[in-house]
Amino acid sequence: MSEADYHPLPVSPDTDHSGENEKYHVFVNLALVLAAITGVELVLVYLPFNTTFIFTVLICLSAFKFVAVIAWFMHLIYDKLLLTLAFGTGLVIAAGTYTALLFLFSRSYVAPPEIPGM
Amino acid sequence: MSDSATHHEDGHKSLIIENKKLLMWLFLGSDCMFFGTLISTHLIYRKIYPQEFEPTSLFSLELTSFSTFILLMSSFLMALAVSAMHKGQLKSFRRNTVGVIFFGLIFLGCQVYEFTEFAHLGLTLESGTFGSTFYLMTGTHGVHVAIGVFWLICMLFYSYTGKMDAHESAVDVEVAGLYWHFVDIVWIIIFTVVYLIEFIGKT
Repeated sequence: MSEADYHPLPVSPDTDHSGENEKYHVFVNLALVLAAITGVELVLVYLPFNTTFIFTVLICLSAFKFVAVIAWFMHLIYDKLLLTLAFGTGLVIAAGTYTALLFLFSRSYVAPPEIPGM
Repeated sequence: MSDSATHHEDGHKSLIIENKKLLMWLFLGSDCMFFGTLISTHLIYRKIYPQEFEPTSLFSLELTSFSTFILLMSSFLMALAVSAMHKGQLKSFRRNTVGVIFFGLIFLGCQVYEFTEFAHLGLTLESGTFGSTFYLMTGTHGVHVAIGVFWLICMLFYSYTGKMDAHESAVDVEVAGLYWHFVDIVWIIIFTVVYLIEFIGKT
């Protein structure tokens, strides 16, 4: 098959391609935003602000990047809800695992065991 | 559910979900739990043994930020590669895929350099809970990146065989793209909770 006759989805080329062209602009804008946020994150840790404030902002920016990549780069907003549920279930269990461990190993509940040689 | 066409002749999307795509999303959900456990373990041990190691003396935020930027841009190129495949633009697909592979290799190079530096400075798998959990977590992520790079190299070579099927190949590239973006989002989390947060109030 040569490149010239390679057309995966040849139906209604105007309709299909206009959708993809719109996505191209979304992808470019998103890439710029993600790069800018990474730069902001790097600068933020060096700023003499309140640590709680910086921590909160970093978590929010990270969460935004996470959601943005899933939603647009991974096409989840264009796809079926079932796929969101399939991934979301894993995500919720992962977050739940961290929360459960955080409570289980909280200093107020459990004294940390000694590490040999320390 | 069926692998049969998701697009009808009139160009409208059907209600069918590709089996490959659904399986990949389910796998990514399970991988989320896997990485969730690794990251949680690292953070919990960091919390209960805060004096064991001071990572700010080791970590290079500039290098890690560069790695993060590289991985984000590779995700952008991957999205373009998937889009190109849907439009049937094989040349564009190849160009973008080469870019993704190149960026992926740069990321792996940065990680190898970082690990080597850390080992020279005394952080090894045996040096304590911090070393164990850090190398296990970032190493597992690195292995995922390496698998992604290998997968994309295979796809790139396959695109030159002339055996690519019109509809199936677009789905295959999309599935590979999902895996690559997942590797990116895991790094987004690791970059913040493992690297950046250590530097708050210490710079």
